[in-house]
Amino acid sequence: MADRRRINGPPGSTMPPVFEDDAGQPEIKNGKGRDRAPNVIRKMFLKTGVTPSASGSAYLEFAGSSNSGVSGLKLSCTVHGPRSLPRSSPFSPHIVLSAHVKYAPFATKQRRGYLRDPSERDLGTHLETALRGAIIADRWPKSGVDIIISIIEGDQDRETSKSQGDETWDMMNALSGCITVASAALADAGIDCVDTVAGGVAALVEDAGEGSTPRIVVDPIPSDHEKVLGACCIAYLPTRDEVTNLWFKGDLPASDAGLYTQLVENGIQASRNANRVLVECLGEATS
Amino acid sequence: MTTSNPTLAIPGQLLGSTSKYQPGPGTHIHNHNVHASLMGTVHIAQPAKAPGPVKRLTKITPAPAPAVLPTISVTVPTRSAGSDHAGQKKREVLPEVGNVVLCRVIRITPRQAVVAILVCGDTVLEAEWQGLIRVQDVRATEKDRVKIYESFRPGDIVRAEVISLGDQANYYLSTARNELGVILATSEAGNAMHPVSWKEYRDPETGLSELRKVARPY
Repeated sequence: MADRRRINGPPGSTMPPVFEDDAGQPEIKNGKGRDRAPNVIRKMFLKTGVTPSASGSAYLEFAGSSNSGVSGLKLSCTVHGPRSLPRSSPFSPHIVLSAHVKYAPFATKQRRGYLRDPSERDLGTHLETALRGAIIADRWPKSGVDIIISIIEGDQDRETSKSQGDETWDMMNALSGCITVASAALADAGIDCVDTVAGGVAALVEDAGEGSTPRIVVDPIPSDHEKVLGACCIAYLPTRDEVTNLWFKGDLPASDAGLYTQLVENGIQASRNANRVLVECLGEATS
Repeated sequence: MTTSNPTLAIPGQLLGSTSKYQPGPGTHIHNHNVHASLMGTVHIAQPAKAPGPVKRLTKITPAPAPAVLPTISVTVPTRSAGSDHAGQKKREVLPEVGNVVLCRVIRITPRQAVVAILVCGDTVLEAEWQGLIRVQDVRATEKDRVKIYESFRPGDIVRAEVISLGDQANYYLSTARNELGVILATSEAGNAMHPVSWKEYRDPETGLSELRKVARPY
């Protein structure tokens, strides 16, 4: 995407040099691991009403991992509307939802373009599906609402090489964050929802070291583990006990069907945890 | 307000059974229970006093319960405390069928007047919604003799009632009632005029009168 009118950053990855430590940690990459229990998600910070010009807005930040260079995910969401539909669009008896997810150009190691690429459009579609199950669309006939999320910082490890990280797993974490932050922003905008929807990720990972068996963890950081075998991202309504969006990816042994159920259950658990933060944040905002 | 009820609600929160409350604005029914659908403060209106303009309920409402049930509703608080957007941060409302709205005439054609809806009920709308007053909706009698240019002019402020959500772009409005019609008009000379009869406004400076569908003053 050569844009001649802007001063573009370097097209490749921008990695600060990592100098070898004097103490000589031999293998940085394999020396670290997950620093949380398998069923504990990262700490997060959520705040609504950060953008005064929008009808509703929220900001979400995940804590980084303490023993790796992962800096944590930072998301900002604005909700515009309900507002009238453009004249060209057909009559709609319910609200028209449109979700846009955009990585900031500097959010990841690999610089992003200014236009949305297919993976960002994919995230937008997933987000839209997740939210559509939560909002009461027929309360707002003939109107549209735009949900715009900018990923200010993606959680990627500064030290891992480009080849090792698989972007899909990062996308899953980003999606779960997007769902949670969009839910808070929708509540802030005063758009009718049946519930507060929150996202959660569970993954089947293989740790470094010989003879370790695959285990299921929630809210995985891909660089904490040797390999991620499969993961699922879930959008879940806790009071209704409904799943609005489910995204599964990876190679799981086909023989073990119980593994799929376990992954989904852990994903739901993760989103319940995220929802607790969401509820507390909204409670603070109303009082 | 009873003490057992939470005063603050977030979407999805259980407010009570449908046998105890009627759902008001900002709530919905799920499994015979009233849940909140907005983030805000909970209000319980006793049925004795009229509970304001009731927002349209969910599609699946039980048969109108005997009017002994109090209505429970959730309203979004206006932003305050250190925000300079205190008054501005209001929840958007939509014009609905039956609402009385204030609008400004944008342009007129022989068949219809196109208006911009500015105020719905008591709330000033943030977004601008377009409305249409068709020639047959201008007044209730002698509909075939109505001429749009003898009823409205661009720039007039009109009080009208929403009669339909209309097509994709316009709400359909009607002024076919005595208290509906033009409430503020300027003459061709540019002066504010005052109403003199049900179809006439007069410019106090030039003394010329112009035809309008005049709203009866309250």
